[in-house]
This record gives sequence, structure tokens and C-alpha cells, in this order.
Amino acid sequence: MKSLKMRKSIAALGAATLALTLSVAITPSASAAPVCATAAGVETCTGTLTNGAGYVFKVPTNFAGTMFFWEHGFRPTYPGVSAVPKGVEEITPGNQTNNTDVTKEMMRAGYGVAAYDGTVKGMRGWNNTFRIEMLKEVIDTAMAKYGTRIQYKVVYGSSQAGAIITPFVEKYPTYADSVGIMAGITPSPADAFQSACDIFYLLSIFADPTIKGCTAFGVKGVPGHMASLGELQKVVALLTAWSKNLGAPGLEHPAALKGSPIPQRSALLLIGLLTGVPTKSAHMDGISTNAVIAEHSINATVAVLENMGEAVATGTLAAQSASEITGPGFYDNTKTDWAALLDEGDAGRYNLGLSGDEAITAMMGVLAASPRVTGNADAIAKFKALDKSNFTSTHPTILLSNEADRLVFAGNSSRYVDKKRAAYEAALAKWEANKTGKKPVWNTLALYAMTPETYTKFTAAGLPDLAGAPAASGVGHQTFSKAQTMAWVRMLAVSAKSGNIPTGKYVQYIAKKVPYLNDDLDYRPTDLKYNFG
Amino acid sequence: MRNRASLSRSPRSFISTAAVVLAGALALSAVPAQGASTPGVSATEIVLGMQLPQTGPASPGYNKVDDAMRAYFDYVNSKGGVYGRKITLVTKDDTYKAGLTVSTASALINKDKVFAMVGSIGTQTHISVIKDINRRGIPDLFVNSGYSGFYTDPKKYPTTFGGLGTYIVEAKILGKHIKENFAKNTVGIVYQTDDFGRNTVEGLATAGVTFTPKKTAATFIAGTQGSGLDAQMQQLKDNNVDVVVVGAVASAFAAAVASANKIGYKPAQWIVISVGADATTFQTILGARGIPAASSAGLLAGTISASHAPSPGEADDEFVKAFKKINDDFNKGPDKRWDNNILQGMNIGYLTTSALLGAGKDLTRPGIIKYIESNAAKLSSAALAPLGYSTKTHEAFTGFWIGKYDAATVLKPIDATRKVWTTDSAKGAVTELKYTRPAIAADALPKVG
Repeated sequence: MKSLKMRKSIAALGAATLALTLSVAITPSASAAPVCATAAGVETCTGTLTNGAGYVFKVPTNFAGTMFFWEHGFRPTYPGVSAVPKGVEEITPGNQTNNTDVTKEMMRAGYGVAAYDGTVKGMRGWNNTFRIEMLKEVIDTAMAKYGTRIQYKVVYGSSQAGAIITPFVEKYPTYADSVGIMAGITPSPADAFQSACDIFYLLSIFADPTIKGCTAFGVKGVPGHMASLGELQKVVALLTAWSKNLGAPGLEHPAALKGSPIPQRSALLLIGLLTGVPTKSAHMDGISTNAVIAEHSINATVAVLENMGEAVATGTLAAQSASEITGPGFYDNTKTDWAALLDEGDAGRYNLGLSGDEAITAMMGVLAASPRVTGNADAIAKFKALDKSNFTSTHPTILLSNEADRLVFAGNSSRYVDKKRAAYEAALAKWEANKTGKKPVWNTLALYAMTPETYTKFTAAGLPDLAGAPAASGVGHQTFSKAQTMAWVRMLAVSAKSGNIPTGKYVQYIAKKVPYLNDDLDYRPTDLKYNFG
Repeated sequence: MRNRASLSRSPRSFISTAAVVLAGALALSAVPAQGASTPGVSATEIVLGMQLPQTGPASPGYNKVDDAMRAYFDYVNSKGGVYGRKITLVTKDDTYKAGLTVSTASALINKDKVFAMVGSIGTQTHISVIKDINRRGIPDLFVNSGYSGFYTDPKKYPTTFGGLGTYIVEAKILGKHIKENFAKNTVGIVYQTDDFGRNTVEGLATAGVTFTPKKTAATFIAGTQGSGLDAQMQQLKDNNVDVVVVGAVASAFAAAVASANKIGYKPAQWIVISVGADATTFQTILGARGIPAASSAGLLAGTISASHAPSPGEADDEFVKAFKKINDDFNKGPDKRWDNNILQGMNIGYLTTSALLGAGKDLTRPGIIKYIESNAAKLSSAALAPLGYSTKTHEAFTGFWIGKYDAATVLKPIDATRKVWTTDSAKGAVTELKYTRPAIAADALPKVG
């Protein structure tokens, strides 16, 4: 999912704008041989897939035989939060807006790169099933063009791509020699979307009862998109108000808590903790304090606010896109045990920010008694089955995540590793019983970019400085330093050749050279709140 | 810690270097990173880690515990160490901010490669790392928190062992005393609304001492006591509470006394859970509020509290005598004045040494955990109550005696002859304990086996 920040233009968005923009539909065309030109030591080839989507290959003159195939993250079909991208606008990993694109570095290293535009019949969104076949076509086209010059294939991608690459390599195992997943929403998008929908629901309980959240999602096309934007606007209004008063006023909702001494910020923090929103953000380290932010759990509360503000737009659009597959009613919280979602450690660590045990008990009590959302059984089943994989791929697979990714939480990576571990152990047990065939090897590695220990800065007025430079590492979504990205890329390349992930010793050696790349191989980020299997 | 500057200075040179290394020397295999050896243990050294507030508002008093532990380990090292290995204690200052507890735990585990964590201080801070420490199988020894939730379910936290008796046990024992001695009084409580305070209320309730919210029970959120507890004290005063129980940290007890003093509220009796009644902390905090030591000693005098160990003022106690000597000779900390914090630090050092000796020469993480669980009776300490460690509970000291502070800030037994009481962290009765503490050896080193 490409990160899309909230914009003031959301409020001004009208259906007329949408209707006008949607008249621009891409007409499918037959695939054609790539058109190539060489400049500055790099051959660049462009072409279109059979469905009309564009692709790009870049191969340097020092190409050493390893080709990287990039699968980009979420792009919206409709405008409203940001412009709808056109064509292939991302060739390699890296956020081009903050100058961390690594195409030049990859060319210099002698790697070939390929990328494509994941548009299907003019539509983007949650089109993973189509993109699995499009990625295959890109690789087929590259193999036809370069033949045996391509010795090793690396399939890698970010965010939404996690839910494409994993099933892809299981379906087409010969199409990859190593696999890279950056900030990937995998293994089960439903695990992540459920928490995103919980955010809406919890905001409706503690802040704005008019919020329908994910119950308003699931209608296809423009009407569904507009409905989701309507929900987004309500959340934006709340977060905007909180960004000004830091949630200091007392709770207005629910009625049972109106007039209590519990400030709104305590409910905001509780919502963050129940849904797994990181308590570190681009500017808030969850630790630093001053006269205004007098306690570290208040710093963490502002972090939750900042993370929600930056993630809500993309999350809303992605959830709505996915819900076009499931239909309305995919969200159901009738069986949600809210108390179980509040980690004992969090309740203790952030006790002051939550206004103490009495306030926690009061808020959780109200929540337990609040009416639940009952979904549609068919939609729920489709929701839980989204982009499922069996994790049996034995290709070397290397994941890269930010410790405090605001959108696709780092717990996705550890959950992925858990799934791979279970599949590996089952395969190993089977091999141990028969001792036939090749002995399974553990071939998955999760890398994490960590934040600095402290980095919050305060304005002269003592307020958090949310406009300054963000943390040097570990925050944001699919945002990594060039050194971090290239360390990941190089490990993928070497793994493609050897068939094995790097040794732990080597990873630790590299981590010591690359600022903030975690050298703790036993690190485990906060677990996701849900596990739908 | 690496910083951004190191990235911006020479990224290209790193990339080039990394490329060369990768191309020429990268060995690939599925072998895990960790070797077979036990982290933090070598032929000559055992590295232990500890987290505590060495600076910041919560540090007074607590910041002496690590120096005392290190002094005891230095003493052990001067005698040849444990099976020839010297004990090195690496400490990290978390300033009582849980975010720093997380990052400093990572540093202790990954940079300092500690064998075990030992004696870490703080409930709300430790709760933020306990799950991860246990997941990694790292021994989490003798935590300086009485929160029962850390210890009463070893399946939940199998590597964590207490370093204090639980707040529930202590509150049950104090509750029995209250029931028997203050039946005609109006008993109230001021407590912090967290695990510590909740444990205290639970223990008192089990003993039959209950309170009325907003009347005889005054609450505050842990961490807010810095601005005083005026409203809470006023509430108790307005409800004619004349016996005030305090289930809170020492800085809160000091704040409560200061607030009561300010409004002319003079309860007949203060009764304080032991970690909140440390004399040094109490006097340091009141000193920062402009109350001289002589006056603060007067405010503390008469306060009832409890202890699992002898009072530091008991000069004839053999453990006090031995530890005091070691403190004089080996403590290199900035404040080595003998007090309860030093005594507790020494005792944790002694207990740790005992466990390391008992676990044997072939020291492993599972090995020491198993040893402690199976050999509580062999682990001697200065405490006047036995250790409760077993496979069913990781609670430490199972008994307390009740005392009253005198004018010299020494906790003296409330009974003519000291009685030690024991109970569990559940619903068991409070009974008198008949326990003979094993003597300390002439060389002040623990003997096991």
C-alpha cells in the first residue's frame, strides 16, 4: 500500500469530480514485444501486457545475470485522497518522494530490474488475483527477451504485494529463486483489516457515534468509494481536532462516561492499544517528555494519533477495495473479546496515559456492553479467505519491516515467519519419518529497521514538533534508508544464487554496518491482534 | 547507539565494502546464528544485566541497589568468583520510563550478551519486557517488584523469579494486624490504581479490611504524585479516617505525608507497604520539598510497615554485620550510606551468588531455572522467611514481620519479640512462621548443596 496522507481536499471532494475522472478508462490491448533503447550504460525496455498494463525492464551493461521483478503496493482506482497514478511509476523499492529510490544503486551493482503497472482493465485496488498472472507474464516476457542471460530471478515487492507474491511463488515455484517481502501485508490481509475496522468501531463508541466504519464498506464502484470517503472524513475531523488539543478535553461519548475525569486522549490511546497501532511514530518516540508532554505514555498517545492520521486514508481505501471482493458485511465483532486485546503489559506500561486502572475498567466496561456489529456470513467467509497461502514455498525468503510501521504493522512479518515455521516443521517431521528426498532447510529471514532510542523534538511552546524531520529509521510505511534497502536487495541476490538465506552471523555483521538495521535475530515485534488462520 | 550521521557520512563506502564482502566472503547456510555456548558465560566470567531508575524522579533510594549488588559481586570476585568465573553486573538506567526499559533490555541482551537479568526494579517498567525476556528463555532473577502477577503462574512467566515478597502477602499480614489492633478506628487507604495498588487492596480485602470508594478509599494514578496528593488527603480527612494505609511507592507516601501535613491532617496511624516506606527515599523526597531530615524523620516516626529481612538498623544481626562490612569495603557507588536499599541489594547479590553456585559449574539458562525451582530451601538469604520458589510458584519471601519506625528511622519490631507471619498470595490463612534462618558463613559467601 503506497502511503497516502490525509489531505484537506478530502472534504471538498465531490461525486462530480469522480465521475469526470472515471471516464478515463484504459482500453486493453494485445501484448507486444518490448521497445528498447540504451543510454548511459542501461538498456531500458518498455511494453504492455496483454491486458494493456505497462511494464519496464532496465538492464545495465554490467548485468551479471540476476533479475529483480518488482511488485508494487496499493494504488487507488479512484481519486479523492491522492491522484490516481498512471503507468509504471515505481521501478524498484524505495520512496521516490524522499529520495530513497535505489534504481541507480541496483544498476551499479549489475542487477537487472523489472516492474509493471498493476492496473487491470483500468482498475487498481485489491486486484491481487489478476496481478499474480500479470507478474507471471512480466517474467515470461523478460525471459523471452533476455533468455539465459537471466540466471537468477528475484521476485520482490512491498505492502499489498505481500499478499500477491506469497501465493505467486506457491503457484509458480520455478518463477523465483528468492523472494523479498517489504512491509508486506501477509500472511492474511484479514488479520490486518479486522484491526483497521476495529479502529472505526472504537472511534464510534468513544468519539463519534455517527461513524459506521467498515459496515459502510463493500459496495462496488463509485458509490462504495464515496461511502468509504464519507467515513474517512469523519475520522479526519476527529483526528484534526485531537491534533490541536491533544485529546485533553473530557470524553463526550459514550454517554455513560460523559462528565467522567477521563480525557479523550485516554480513549485514543486505548483504541491504539486495542488495535495494535504502534506507540512510536515519525516524530514521537514514546519516551521523551517535557512540561507539556509530562509523561511517556502521553508521548505514546501522540504517536498513536500521528500514526492513525497518516494511515487512515490508505487503510480506508485499501479496506474498501478489498471489500469489493467480499461484499458488504465482512466486518463482524460479535465474538471479539476486547479485554483479551488489551495486553497486560500495555495496561501497565501506559497506565498513566490510560488514566489509571479505574478509567481502564470504566472504558472496557462500556465497551463490553456496547452493541456489536453483526456481519454477513458469506462476506465474512470471503474476507477470511482473502489471498490465502499455504507457506510451503522453500525459496529463500527475506522480509524487511519497520519496527513502527504505521500501516502494515511489523507483526505481519513475525506472523509470516510463524506460518513458514509451522510448514517447515511439518515438512521436517515428514522427512524424519521417511528420510527420503531432500531434507528441508529453514529458509526464511525477517529483517527489521529499528527506530533510534529517542528522537522526539518539542517546539518552543513545548508541544511535539510534528513538522520536523521524521525519525532516521524504523517509522513510516515501506520507507527505508538506501543502505537498509540495498542490504536487503543484496541478500536477496546472493540468496537467489545459493538457494539459502544468509547465515545469522552474516546478518549480524551487515546489521552492524547499516544504521538501525536490527542485529537481534530473535527480535519479535508486537503480535497482530487477530489470527484468522 | 548508531546515529543518522554515520549514515550520511559514508554510505557509498559502506555499500562498496558490503559488496566486496558479499561477493567474496558470504557464507550461506541454514545454521542458526547462535552458537552452542551459553550467552554471557565464559570460562572466566558471568555477565548479568539489571534495569533500574538510576536517574529521574523515581531514582532516590532505588539507585543504590545496583551499587550494593555490584559491591557484593566484587566481594565474591575477590574470593575467586563462582567456579573461577568473576561476576560482572551491567546496569542500564531506564529512568522508570518503560520505553527505555524496552530499549535497554535489548541492549543488555544483544550488545552486552547477558546470561541473565537480575534484580531489575519496577513493576510498570518490568511488565513491558517480562514477556520478551521469558520468550527468549533468559533467566529473570529476583525482580525487585512485589507484584504477584509476575510470579504466581510459572507457566506464564517460567523464567521470572521474585526478589521481594508479594504485595498481596504483605497486605494480608498487615491486614490481619489492622483487624486485630484498629477495629475501633476508621481505616482508609490511599493507593495507586495499578498492579501494585490493586495487589495491596486485594490482600487487605482477603484479610477482611475493605474500603468505600471515594470515601475511605482515595486513589491516584501512578506517576501523578509529583504534584501532591492534596485532594486525596482531604478526602480521607473529611471522612474521619484516622488510620491511613498506603499502597504506593515511596515518593507517593512522601507526597501523601507532605499533603496531610499541609492541611493539618494528622492521622493517628500510617501503615505503609514496605517498598513505600523506605526511610532514605522518604527523607530524600521530602528533603527536595524543603523539609529537613530531622523533621522528615519525625514525620516517619511511628509509621507501621513490614519487612521480610532484618532492619538495616539491627547492628547485631549477622547478615547486617557482614553485609555492612562488605558495603564499607567494596561499594564504589556515589552514596554508600547503609540503609534498606543497600541491604536489599546485598541480599539479592548474595541470593544470586547462591543460585549460581547451586546451578553448578556447567552453567546454563535452563539449568539455573531448574535449580532455583527445585532447591528453594538451599538458597539462603538474609530474609527471616523462607523462599517460596517451586515449580508451582516463583514467589520469593513468604513471610513478613511488622514493625514501627522509631525517631532514628529504624524499623523496630512491633512485638516485644519479633514475630514473623506467613501466608500465600491466594486465600490462605495468615499464620505465625517458625523458621530458623540459616547462618551466614564466616566468609559471608553462600553455601549450597
